[in-house]
Amino acid sequence: MRALVAGIIALTILSGRGMALADAVVLTVTGDVKDAPVTFTRAELAALPQHRLSTSTTVTDGVPVFEGFLMRDLLGAVGAEGETVTAVALNDYSIQIPISDFERFDVLGAVAMDGESLTPRDKGPIWIVYPRDDHPELQDMRYETRWVWQLHTLDVQ
Amino acid sequence: MSAPSAAAPRGGSWMALYGPLLPLLAICLVPLAFALTRTAAIERDMRIAATENMLWVVSQTQMEMLNLAVTAMSPDQTEDDIAHRYDMVLSRLALLQDGPQRRYLAELGHEVTVGQIERELRRLDPVARGHSDELHDALSGLGLDLQPQLKRIATDVMTAEWTAAAERLDDYRSMQRTVVLAVGSALVAALVISWLLLRNQRRLHRAEMMQVRANVMLERERNTSAWYKDFAALVSHEIRTPLTLIDSAMHRLLRKGETVTAHDVAERHAVIHDAVLRLTRVVETVLMAGRVDEEAVESRLAPENLSALAEKAIADAQRHYPDREIILSSSATGLLAQCDRHLVGHILGNLLSNALKYSPPDTPVELRLFAQGGRVACAVGDRGPGITPAEQDHVFERFYRGRDQMTKPGTGLGLALSRELASLQGGEVTMESWPGRGSLFTLWLPAATRHDA
Repeated sequence: MRALVAGIIALTILSGRGMALADAVVLTVTGDVKDAPVTFTRAELAALPQHRLSTSTTVTDGVPVFEGFLMRDLLGAVGAEGETVTAVALNDYSIQIPISDFERFDVLGAVAMDGESLTPRDKGPIWIVYPRDDHPELQDMRYETRWVWQLHTLDVQ
Repeated sequence: MSAPSAAAPRGGSWMALYGPLLPLLAICLVPLAFALTRTAAIERDMRIAATENMLWVVSQTQMEMLNLAVTAMSPDQTEDDIAHRYDMVLSRLALLQDGPQRRYLAELGHEVTVGQIERELRRLDPVARGHSDELHDALSGLGLDLQPQLKRIATDVMTAEWTAAAERLDDYRSMQRTVVLAVGSALVAALVISWLLLRNQRRLHRAEMMQVRANVMLERERNTSAWYKDFAALVSHEIRTPLTLIDSAMHRLLRKGETVTAHDVAERHAVIHDAVLRLTRVVETVLMAGRVDEEAVESRLAPENLSALAEKAIADAQRHYPDREIILSSSATGLLAQCDRHLVGHILGNLLSNALKYSPPDTPVELRLFAQGGRVACAVGDRGPGITPAEQDHVFERFYRGRDQMTKPGTGLGLALSRELASLQGGEVTMESWPGRGSLFTLWLPAATRHDA
């Protein structure tokens, strides 16, 4: 039902090319979650509560506005129980992130930047974005490595 | 002398004591603050430096390009695989052309190169042109062709990063030197401050010591004035009495006029002689007491035969009291005391005179010599009324006179003086008394050995 509603919403929002993308799985959650693996299409991700976050990044200029879901909402939706997630990107970049990060900060799974959907040709489909401008402690190398772009798999442990 | 006030000078001298510390404190803190800003700058610099991982980004791009070339020429790869690899390369090229990375490459003169690479790659976009073997061959060829260019960019980036790292190291080194210098000078200033504080504390301490000394002087002055008051009372009695005796003796002789006989003269002469002796003793005692106070009494210590000293003292006393019996006994012969003979003579004279004065004329006074525990002693005993326990505490105080003895001649200085003279020689005077039976005053002196003689 949820997927259906999300699909309808997605259909109204996305362009023709987006329609094709809306059907494709963009994120897979594995590991210690209910009914693993759980897959998400763009539309399904768009059905999660949406948030905006303005923050600078180390690889772009200015203060882009990111849109997407909160990582803790996603993990809550899949019933994740664990300490860490291993985030894997399309280019096989992989890094472990403590789940406590998502509880302490409003970490965004960004699907759009400055109003444009993120694509695999840029940093999409999902870019993990920390609110680094709001929390000075996040302006630290140890956190920069957790800004995974081209995210496609989360493994909960 | 006025009573010194402690608060006033201390409050006033605060600036004098601590004023010099303020510039030193600045000398101490300013370099530290400077060192702090320098190290903060280093920290900031390192943070920025750490985000510059351009070499990694360029290498990733080169690798993805190679992946595309390999995937595109491989016969068993699907179109999706190739499209995915193509997207990966584009995403790296996009990253290279994002703000900070673009500026970095522009500085190395590679901005245009990356733009050209992307344009060439975009011409072979499988989404726009559809997959075909020709396209795949072209992609593979292009991927390989672009390798040298990407490699050159990587080399240039690496050189630039190493150069920057070396320059940064130079910066850190010079910063380190300034920080060491700053901390060093802060340390020196801190040392100077501690030294000044210590010195000030010593000064305060010295001032306090002087205050204590001043108080002691004040106390002594007060004692002296009390002494003079007591001395005045003494003079009025002890000196006036014999003078009156002399005066009346002379008057009697004068009244007799022509009828004066040799017997009269001899009688009056004895009275006058006695009065003069009494005066002399008072003056001697007072002078001695004065010299003790001035710490002007010198004791010339030498081994002395205690019996000889005792015999001389008895002989002197006997002259004033020719009718009294004085018994000398000794537990051993040849007892030697390390002492000053004149001072001992004075002490024994005083003890004997007291014993004779305060005991009935028909009782003997005993003088016993003995040795005990490295000391020799001379005990003077009488069979007088003794001293009550309440009065025993005071007999060695200056100007103290026994309540029942006020009528007897005496300065009230004798026992106090005797005790002080004894201590000057390393000895003491002790007292035992049994009311109704008599008193025993003992002079203790350090024993001398033959060897010392």
